[in-house]
Amino acid sequence: MAIASVHNLVVRYGRFTALNGLSCEIPEGCTGLLGPNGAGKTTLLKTILGFVKPTSGTATILGMDILEAGAAIRQKVGLMPEQDCHIPGMTAVQFVAYAGELAGMPTSQALRRAHEVLDYCGLGEARYRNVETYSTGMKQRIKLAQALVHGPKLLLLDEPTNGLDPAGREDMLELVRSVSHGKGLNVLVSSHLLPDIERVCDRVIVVMKGELRAQGTIKDLKKIEGQPIDIELRELSPAFVAAMQAKGASVMPPKRTTYRIQIKGLPQDAAAIAMQAAKESGAQIRGFSQAERSLEDAFMDAISSSGPPVPPPPAVGGKI
Amino acid sequence: MASSPIADLSYRNYDGPLEPPINRWWAIAKMSIRLSLKKKGFWVWAVLSGYWYMILLAVFYFVDAQASVVSGKQNPFFANLVWKDQFLNGFAIGQLLLFVLALLIGAGAIANDNRANALLVYLSKPCSKLDYVVGKWLGIFIPITAVTAVPTLLFYAYCLMSYRSYGFVTQDPWLIVKLFGMILIPGFFHASAALGISSLFQQGRLAGATYAAFYFFGIFFTKAMQSIIVMSGLNDITGSGSSAPAFVKNLYYCSVDGIQIAVAKVILHTDGSPPLAGPGPAAKLGVVPAPSGWIFIPAFFAICGLFMLLAWSRIRAVEVVG
Repeated sequence: MAIASVHNLVVRYGRFTALNGLSCEIPEGCTGLLGPNGAGKTTLLKTILGFVKPTSGTATILGMDILEAGAAIRQKVGLMPEQDCHIPGMTAVQFVAYAGELAGMPTSQALRRAHEVLDYCGLGEARYRNVETYSTGMKQRIKLAQALVHGPKLLLLDEPTNGLDPAGREDMLELVRSVSHGKGLNVLVSSHLLPDIERVCDRVIVVMKGELRAQGTIKDLKKIEGQPIDIELRELSPAFVAAMQAKGASVMPPKRTTYRIQIKGLPQDAAAIAMQAAKESGAQIRGFSQAERSLEDAFMDAISSSGPPVPPPPAVGGKI
Repeated sequence: MASSPIADLSYRNYDGPLEPPINRWWAIAKMSIRLSLKKKGFWVWAVLSGYWYMILLAVFYFVDAQASVVSGKQNPFFANLVWKDQFLNGFAIGQLLLFVLALLIGAGAIANDNRANALLVYLSKPCSKLDYVVGKWLGIFIPITAVTAVPTLLFYAYCLMSYRSYGFVTQDPWLIVKLFGMILIPGFFHASAALGISSLFQQGRLAGATYAAFYFFGIFFTKAMQSIIVMSGLNDITGSGSSAPAFVKNLYYCSVDGIQIAVAKVILHTDGSPPLAGPGPAAKLGVVPAPSGWIFIPAFFAICGLFMLLAWSRIRAVEVVG
């Protein structure tokens, strides 16, 4: 089931077109919104929240139309913005409780929940400190806490690891991964950092120049056409290559001791042929896996394609 | 023995009550007021702002206690007082301190939020721009109005209990209603002006300095006009007041304090008199008559409206590209 559907969304800032007929479906679970800087990721988030009025097109979030139910949507959505943001003059617990009150929580519930969420985000010890004295990592965490306090159904994270050191980045990604898996919370992570997306998301949407370029599971995007296989040998073996070629396989130049081989037929047939070739050539196979490209390669392919936007596939139940 | 915590510290969804996503302005106003009340300076200036009423109370008490009055006759000091002018004086004299209070709680209202990108927090919750502006406005209006109201109403209560025989009620039976109108003026003006000016800046201090410059320039201008009026009045001791042109008398009210005092005079329906003075020719010297309510009340609301419009136009959740 899709938690958000976007249809032909066009957003213009004066003459600049930030979103150009974008259509996509955001399924349940954790989805990454990928794109280079200026691709329109943040604009899409802002449009979803009603900060920006679309020039044309429609979108529904959790079944509510963005043009008609802005406040109701924002009550069910939590935003962790890219920029540092807090309310001056408040301690962390006051700030998070206030964010809960703004979302409609009764005061006592908001305070109780603020303590709970701050503990969860690892700020329990610093809850009575003024937010302005926080380090960058702590500020990122408190942005997550204020977005989570009212128990949103959809969490929008805009560059959640921005400005964090490696340890802070690890912690933040772990937090995001834990809230987005098995907690009934759907997450849309906007980032241009592919390793971050690969680490926490199951699906991605690739946006470029305000248009959809690709969407689907990360596994699908990383698949290579023709489903080649990678065979790792103990050492390089020209005899093995010759044997495979004799059986009709195309063999790509090796990387270290791994050959990428493409052969017609099912992967299990390819395995049998490879084993046969190894036996014939005296090569020792140490590894055998379905070949896939890196997410970076898949992303570069998607953004370098200049064709029309890929139409969104039908929503697939993909809650992880 | 297990080393894991007894409490479940993993994330749990909130499934408690949520109020409908409307009228979030009250949450914003409440928090703004709470933050104001936390400031020590607020309490200091709030107490000081009623200092003239405290002086009046002391003077009245000692005059009452010390004056030898012939039995059966009224104390001439109280008998000659114009009661509503005492409130007008308390209001006018407290203006500077109310302004300081407005700077303290209002100058950073939007400017500090701009600096901290707080709008992204507010507007990503079910708060509209209207909720934000109204909430912030009330967050300044309510404290200033309360600070104006407390000494005024306490002084009214004291006078009501002590000086009914001196015409406190009979001089103007509707005084209490008029006072309620007067009490609202500083809060209304300062909340609007502070928000408007604050929205222009990213630093509360800069906004405060700008409002202060605006205020003190107005004071300087007002004093210049007052000098002209007093000089004109020196040649006329018949009690008919200054012979300065009417437009100069109107210009006297063209400042932050001035316009508030003008509206207060219109509401109380008095020209005012020097502190502790009764009616009579001498009391008219240096007193600028009440201006036309038809001009100054609309002007008051127009100025407040312009400041609010300024704040409204400056509050944006997104940076515009291109």
